Amino acid sequence: MSATPDSTAVWDALRSIPDPEFGVNIVDLGLIYSVECTDGDIAVTMTLTTPSCPSGGWIYEGAKEALARLPGVKNVNVAMVFDPPWTPAMLSESAQRQLGRID
Amino acid sequence: MTAMNSLMAVGLPSLRAPESRPVRLPTPARPAALAGNWLATQGRLPLAFMGLGLAWLVAATALLVAQPTLLSLPHPHPRVVALTHAWVLGFFVTVACGAVYQLAPVALGTTLCNERHGWWHFGLHAVGVPGMVYSFWRGDLKLLGHFGFAVALGIVLFAVNTWRTVQRSGRRGTVVWSLTLAAGWLLTTVLVGLLLAANRYWQFIPIDPVALLRAHAHLGLVGFFVTLLQGVGFQLVPMFTLGEVRDWRLANIGLGLSQTGLLTLAPALLWHLAPLGLLGALAIAASMICSGIGLKRALDSRKKRALDPGTRSFLRGGAGGCTAAIAGIALVSPGSPWGSAPGGFNAMIYAILGLAGGLLPCIAGMMCKIVPFLTWMRAYGPRVGRGPTPAAGALTHPRIERWGLALQGIAVVPLLVGAWTLSELWLRIGAWLLAVGVALFVADMLGVLKHLWFVPAPVPAMKRGGSR
Repeated sequence: MSATPDSTAVWDALRSIPDPEFGVNIVDLGLIYSVECTDGDIAVTMTLTTPSCPSGGWIYEGAKEALARLPGVKNVNVAMVFDPPWTPAMLSESAQRQLGRID
Repeated sequence: MTAMNSLMAVGLPSLRAPESRPVRLPTPARPAALAGNWLATQGRLPLAFMGLGLAWLVAATALLVAQPTLLSLPHPHPRVVALTHAWVLGFFVTVACGAVYQLAPVALGTTLCNERHGWWHFGLHAVGVPGMVYSFWRGDLKLLGHFGFAVALGIVLFAVNTWRTVQRSGRRGTVVWSLTLAAGWLLTTVLVGLLLAANRYWQFIPIDPVALLRAHAHLGLVGFFVTLLQGVGFQLVPMFTLGEVRDWRLANIGLGLSQTGLLTLAPALLWHLAPLGLLGALAIAASMICSGIGLKRALDSRKKRALDPGTRSFLRGGAGGCTAAIAGIALVSPGSPWGSAPGGFNAMIYAILGLAGGLLPCIAGMMCKIVPFLTWMRAYGPRVGRGPTPAAGALTHPRIERWGLALQGIAVVPLLVGAWTLSELWLRIGAWLLAVGVALFVADMLGVLKHLWFVPAPVPAMKRGGSR
């Protein structure tokens, strides 16, 4: 029986998903609000840069798919929330650098 | 119930609506499969319009290269009208309608009310516009009426579809008003165009046809394009630059002034009321300046510092549009000696400024953003989470895109000089520069679109493990 994934593996899997417009992964973009891992059950709370993000559907489906592919995963639950709304202050330093915000 | 409606029933559109509390998206396997189906159909209709628009861009440019001296003729000349319709109805309106079919559902947080009607619109537009351009070229008013009716029917479907989508969404605001009003103005423009053609044929209304032509042109340019861009700009520019519109007052004032200005200008042009025309033109210019300042403030708040070529082109088009509006004020001023006669500062100069200097960079810039994104959605969206996917912007060739847009901009200068001095040489130089710019632009767009057919590897079936 394979080991259940820890939160590091989950964050890494989510980091593999880029936002198509900015090319920055959804973790550094600040779209992931929380990750919980318990005995192979993964619960993620995430948001989008805007509720009307046209690629939101694919990002949501992709996050579920990437997590479901982790070894030892039993259940994946991804909740999309818009409260609190995403703000640019949620960008990581790496994302800000990629977007040219800081040197 | 269609798959799309089933999907709405299980709540995926909650992705697109701001909520005051956390929203749980569907987790059972069946909704996930439906979501995949729904997502897979996204973008076909707008992409079809974008493809048709590209074909028209090539055709309209070829017509200008073949006959650059058309720009030294009076603007009511039938062949000038044919060339204008190839550009405006063929390229600009086709791309703008495709953009609305993509943006309206996004801005409204819903799906398009009736996609089948959208496809009927596409078919009628694809058949009607070439027929109209041919009829203008041949000066065949009867044939023009038949093809114009087909185009009008398509625009009726477009307008009703837009209005019903707006109504279903229940949303309000500047962007929603701009979409609603723009659809109405486009329908009005086409109906006035049909009236103009019918009146030329039967002469049942004693009215100056050139005055009606000018009113028709402004209903389309200001009513449809300026109104649309005044709303869409405030949706797109912050979205693409990670900026925000903190104060919507300037956007609202801009939209209000353009509507007031057009309602003043169109009758003034029709009945030769110069003072009223001046007021209308001033209001329209002020509306564009208000919207421009509002957009600049949104841009100042952006987190993505570097602007890509598409956004730059869109903004350059806005500046070009403002310049054209100022030229329009000079043309419509009481006692102005400038009119339809070729040479010097005349209506043709104003049209080149507005169409080649304003609308072309705006629409081409929009295409630079929309076409890669729609292509990404169809070609790479299903691969997200299953393997590496490129960013939408990586589908373009930036250097080709930049040069294409730049040459299109540079071409405006010799075209203006040629139309002003009635110089065939300058007109030819301008037409060829524009053609090279268009060729590079089209090559870049085709390079993006090829990803629809040449996706690296098939996507494996979704793994089903436990309840997801």
